[in-house]
Amino acid sequence: MLRTVKPKNARSKRAMDAREPKEIEDPRTAIFVRGTHTGEVVTSVMKDLMALKRPNAISFSKKNVVRPFEDAASLDFWAQKNDASMFIVGQSTKKRPDGMVFARCYDGRVLDMCEVGVEKGGYKGLESFKTPKSTPGHKPMLHFASELFTTHPRFIQLKSILMDFFNGEVIDHICLPGLEHVISITLGPAPATLSGTEPTEDDTKSLPLVHIRAYTVRLLNSGTRVPRVELTEMGPSLDLRLRRTQAADAELWKQAMRRPKLKKTDVEKGLGKRKKNLEVDDMGDLRGRVHVGKQDLGRLQTRKMKGLKAGFDEDEDVHMSDGEGGDEEPSSRKKPRRAE
Amino acid sequence: MDVSNILASHAAKFQSVTVEKDTPLDVDTGFLTVTDSNPIDEDSYNDNLEEYLQSTARDGVQSLFTSLFSLPTVASADGPLAKLPPPTTQLPRCKPLPKPKPQTKWERFASAKGIQHKVRDKRVWDEEKQDWVNRWGKDGKNKEKEEQWISEVPHNADLNFDPVKKARDERKGRVAKNEKQRLGNVARAAPRERDVRKKEIDTTLATTRISTASMGKFDKKLEGEKKLRGIKRKFEPAESNETQASLAILSGLDGETRRTRKESGKEGDDVLNVRKAIHKASGGRGGIALGRAASGGRGGGGKRGGRGGKR
Repeated sequence: MLRTVKPKNARSKRAMDAREPKEIEDPRTAIFVRGTHTGEVVTSVMKDLMALKRPNAISFSKKNVVRPFEDAASLDFWAQKNDASMFIVGQSTKKRPDGMVFARCYDGRVLDMCEVGVEKGGYKGLESFKTPKSTPGHKPMLHFASELFTTHPRFIQLKSILMDFFNGEVIDHICLPGLEHVISITLGPAPATLSGTEPTEDDTKSLPLVHIRAYTVRLLNSGTRVPRVELTEMGPSLDLRLRRTQAADAELWKQAMRRPKLKKTDVEKGLGKRKKNLEVDDMGDLRGRVHVGKQDLGRLQTRKMKGLKAGFDEDEDVHMSDGEGGDEEPSSRKKPRRAE
Repeated sequence: MDVSNILASHAAKFQSVTVEKDTPLDVDTGFLTVTDSNPIDEDSYNDNLEEYLQSTARDGVQSLFTSLFSLPTVASADGPLAKLPPPTTQLPRCKPLPKPKPQTKWERFASAKGIQHKVRDKRVWDEEKQDWVNRWGKDGKNKEKEEQWISEVPHNADLNFDPVKKARDERKGRVAKNEKQRLGNVARAAPRERDVRKKEIDTTLATTRISTASMGKFDKKLEGEKKLRGIKRKFEPAESNETQASLAILSGLDGETRRTRKESGKEGDDVLNVRKAIHKASGGRGGIALGRAASGGRGGGGKRGGRGGKR
């Protein structure tokens, strides 16, 4: 645990306030860590990924003795110290050659991890493609292709981590000409064993390869408002295989998935739980419809008159029978009305 | 008139922007992400991998662009800005949600009375100077009375009445009052010690109540004792691999040698930082030089020839 310090001047106070939790969060900062031995391939893969992730990337250039799956204490410490919440740890061993661990943090603690290995000959760097590159700092588009990204837990996690890595910032506007490149993540054909209902764990060899490609986008005139898209490969090109994983702790995951309470204006726009019979008209006024039960006209209060009083009929009956003599008809007709 | 020829030539000139797939693509415009959940076509995947990947990516990006260009736009200097809807994919947060700030006494009153917050400009218009001046601070408007070269004195004023001092005292008084109110708000926002202690006791009590094997099921109940909520006993699954579970525990325990090494290492670290001590004792020349100085006692000679070593 880092010591909690009180800021001594306004500048450090601003810096500390910037690290406070926010309702709408900044993009995740990623730290690229080298393990005890990285190897040429992983070093250049990490360099290329960093080029895509810039400016939200920090490079640790020295070697570190770190094994995230055995002890993630160092990652926790670095996350707090650097205000970062994502790690890419590169390590190449005899048992797991050319490996990279993607780790994601919540509240300065490791949330979940996913290890991938670069396949032999499955890497072509950013430099080896002699094509125009995207501007650093521009937001990439993401493309995932495979049915496993919606069905298999390992690939759901991978998709979530990669989305967080490349594109995890919530923005309200995007400049359309600024969309320059797309990162495509495609899986190999799913083997028949995975199509079944229960996913088989521990057997990473049967999982399909993950192909990561980056393309720049060219927009051509199509004669309509929507342009036709053409892609040019930009690099890097990676073929990865999934290895170990560590799923998030259920309790921590639940905390991490908490959403801020929706503002009143957002609810009126129709976000969140739909409220019935509310709508905003063209003038921006909130209009609602209210259901008032069925009206009982029998109880309607009309003009108050002596003649309409409840007990008035009887007096009249008596009076009438006195005057005209023995005609029972009107009083019997009136009785049911009084009972109403 | 037959226009099919013209239409065909027009169609040839512009390639189509529509994407047709068995399963419609899932586009999350908020995150600029498109997910294609159609199964991979094995033949074309094996035939030419790169071409297949590029064509699927193109189709996906095309449909993403279709939905992006249908969004409402705002003009800007760099080009049209599309207004993005909130993302549909849920990603975990990096930090917990910010805690709501405790309301000040005034804010509480204002919300109860429905008083709207008004933003007060930092600068005010000065009629005499015909310029905007600070409301407070450097050359502030609130110091106007203290700094004017002449001031009015009431008729019944004291002999040593100082209008400048009076204005200044009033201003300082307002500052002091504000500070007092601020401290009051801080004190009100802090949790009372009594509440903190009560909470502590409650948690301790709750822990003790579920610390029996039955998690408090057969304990004596006191009168007025509240029922604890959310307590569930967890059981091992009926068909578990016992050997594997035991092995997992064993592997978690360190071996005897490793544990002793760790402990001794830790102890050494706490008591004395050896590296630092050597550095200090040798004056930054290292342990070898220190050892040489202690045994040989060459003194100045050692210092002179320290770098060169044996020739």
